[in-house]
Amino acid sequence: MTAAEEVAILPEGIAWGILIAFGILWVILGWYLGRKNKTAEDHMLAGRNVGLALATATAMATWVTANTTMTAPQLALQLGVWGMFGYSLGALGLILFAPLARRIRELMPHGFTSGDFIRLRFGKFTWRVFLVVSLIYAFGWLVSLAMAGGVLINALAGIDYRVGMTVILTVCVLYTLLGGLRAVIGTDFVQTIIIVLGVAFIAWLTIDKVGFEAIHFNLMEERPQLLNLLFPAAIMFLFNNLFFGVGEIFHSNVWWSRAFAFGRSVGFRAYLLAGLLWLPIPIVAGFVALATPALGINVPVADMVGPLVAAEVLGLTGAIVVFIVVFAALASSLDSLLAATSDLVTRDIYRGHIRNRASDHEQFRATKVIVVLLGLVTWAAASYRGELPVIGSLAEVLYFTGAFVASAIWPVVAGLYWRRANPTGAGLSMIAGTTLGLVSYFTIGFYVAALVGAAVSLAVLVLSTWLAPRDFDWRLLAEAEPHSAAPVTRGAR
Amino acid sequence: MMISVEALGTVVVVATAVATLAPFLLIALFIRDWKRGSVW
Repeated sequence: MTAAEEVAILPEGIAWGILIAFGILWVILGWYLGRKNKTAEDHMLAGRNVGLALATATAMATWVTANTTMTAPQLALQLGVWGMFGYSLGALGLILFAPLARRIRELMPHGFTSGDFIRLRFGKFTWRVFLVVSLIYAFGWLVSLAMAGGVLINALAGIDYRVGMTVILTVCVLYTLLGGLRAVIGTDFVQTIIIVLGVAFIAWLTIDKVGFEAIHFNLMEERPQLLNLLFPAAIMFLFNNLFFGVGEIFHSNVWWSRAFAFGRSVGFRAYLLAGLLWLPIPIVAGFVALATPALGINVPVADMVGPLVAAEVLGLTGAIVVFIVVFAALASSLDSLLAATSDLVTRDIYRGHIRNRASDHEQFRATKVIVVLLGLVTWAAASYRGELPVIGSLAEVLYFTGAFVASAIWPVVAGLYWRRANPTGAGLSMIAGTTLGLVSYFTIGFYVAALVGAAVSLAVLVLSTWLAPRDFDWRLLAEAEPHSAAPVTRGAR
Repeated sequence: MMISVEALGTVVVVATAVATLAPFLLIALFIRDWKRGSVW
């Protein structure tokens, strides 16, 4: 029996009841919402006119992952108050993406993916580098989410890792397959309500039953560093997390596909509001971990601190709330990632590299086949978890991708706003940023990879553009059909 | 420099209050979009 299994807080029968009931609900809702999809554009971008309520909720739900509900408490336990404040800075990614979403919609009214933009803006070399970075991140996130699903279901209810992982992956693949982005956005709305209310409910009861005085007193006695506002590693983590969150959102097709799908005037407001409403969630979720000394809880697995506190404070009710919240958080991110990654593979690999003249019907069919294939590959990769020699904590796995995503921040920003940005320099900046970011991950620590990746990428991009600036005509993004046009650049005057 | 119990309490209570209100705001926005015919 693993350490996680020893702390199972929910009877297996109840857990199965929740999995089956919510699984059926998500699949029926997904089928219902997607039943009128007739074209690839319908399926991939939900008709390009998503309103403010659904747009805000889907941005929030996608950004609240199992990592938020489980890793925020873990980080609060390891890094103290700056751990939860630092995690909440992930909201800046959503807030800063708001103006980008508006510009993306203006520049590319017919765009489909982030890959479309990079190819048209920077050319094939940088496009391919970007696809490698983006697909490694997307696949890494998919596998880690599937693994998190299996681990958490096992830890919370004792259900076998592979069975739990298979169930959650199957449910998400099914409704994404049936309804495309409409299904993803529709279920995200319900999932957001469940997640946020559940997390807030646990926090209010922890405040009521334990109290700030007891929490503060016990922390000062047992782990005073968690209350230290000058905790060096925590401050480094805070800035690293800022760049990590920004990098994830700026480059990933999960967020670009939504920028294309939201109504013309909706993107800016939706991302801004989603960021402001997401900001307190890691503080609320993370705070409960600070109650462990006051409650006298022994935490055998750091990732499990949130559920353990909930179960201690609320008993069976707390365990049920946590299980539903975790299931909703996992599904809301897995579905988004499956849909956005299948879009990227369909447009940029299948149509971009294999079948340039693929019709709309062929793309519609391809995106469905690719969702199933992604599910199978993810399942196969996540199934081998037990045989791998070392699997880090959720936080370590998550921050491994920091070097990749942070190196893409400046190429994306420069591509959207800096007319003279050097196209080849943009590709080189991602390669250099990722490489040195990974070096720092292994030599210094998980909390600096994104920081180093972003800094190196910025330096290379600025230097290359300073040495060899290139002009770009923004109208080419709006006018060009993504796969018929090579990037058009001219020497600087 | 340690965070005081008052500061910790204030930050957590404000964050929890905002999180509690967020779902109701989303539902209100959804109803508004529904009435305007702009859900999708």
